[in-house]
Amino acid sequence: MLEALFGSINRERVLLFLHSRDQGYAREIARFFKTNLNQIQKQLERLEQGGIVYNKLVGKTRLYSLNPRYPFLKELQALLDKVLKFYPDEEVDKLTMIRKRPRRKGKPL
Amino acid sequence: MKAIGKMTIGELAAFVNTHLRTKGIDCVLTGGACVSIYTENKFTSYDIDFIENVTSKRVDIINALNDIGFIEENRYFKHPDTQYFIEFPTGPLAVGSESIKEIHTLTFQTGKLKLLSPTDSIKDRLAAYYHWNDQQCLEQAVMISKDHNIDIKEIERWSKVENKLEEFKSIKGKLLK
Repeated sequence: MLEALFGSINRERVLLFLHSRDQGYAREIARFFKTNLNQIQKQLERLEQGGIVYNKLVGKTRLYSLNPRYPFLKELQALLDKVLKFYPDEEVDKLTMIRKRPRRKGKPL
Repeated sequence: MKAIGKMTIGELAAFVNTHLRTKGIDCVLTGGACVSIYTENKFTSYDIDFIENVTSKRVDIINALNDIGFIEENRYFKHPDTQYFIEFPTGPLAVGSESIKEIHTLTFQTGKLKLLSPTDSIKDRLAAYYHWNDQQCLEQAVMISKDHNIDIKEIERWSKVENKLEEFKSIKGKLLK
């Protein structure tokens, strides 16, 4: 949708994913959009170089989030919110409706 | 002129900053190097981060730094005689969501250095503490506040803009000690 502005469809996807879910790792984002892992990794690296996202290691997983210190964060989030309004409801649900509350290990159901 | 290998971080940053200005590249020192300078190396940083508000062509920066012996390696510029390395993080020059209005200048025997003011340097450290709970950055902010006159009301105003007023209140005492 904003491919021309962001420069690549995968960069738009990465930003939308991180905005919707607060955090994510490269393989998770690539799987979600059924796209190439290397492409997603490349976009994450570029966004990190630009100070737009940051990462932290959790175990062996590199988790990315939008950088709270990015000076244009509020404006970027407003833009991404608007982009989401143009996405099909089904896609938005898939992006946002995930379980975030904890779930005890070994629970049968 | 002092040899590059013998320069302190402030002297080296001033030398590089002055040299870049002669090449039309105007940038401001930010990050941990400012803390090193303001605390007289009680906190040691090897990272010299310069930010430009108007971005130069990368090739111009590479050529200018090559002139004084710094070679680019993986986006960092290194010199064989010093442990300090130079980086150009993407701008703009900002602390949190606000641009920086007042640039400080320090004069060293090696040149003039543009850098964040002590108050903005504290905000820069507090941003890392507020958003990432980085305790080391809080300590660095406190270290700067001990040696310099800082504008505590301005830090409070900025903290409010960052939605971190409660966090500021909880550490204000440390900055005033």
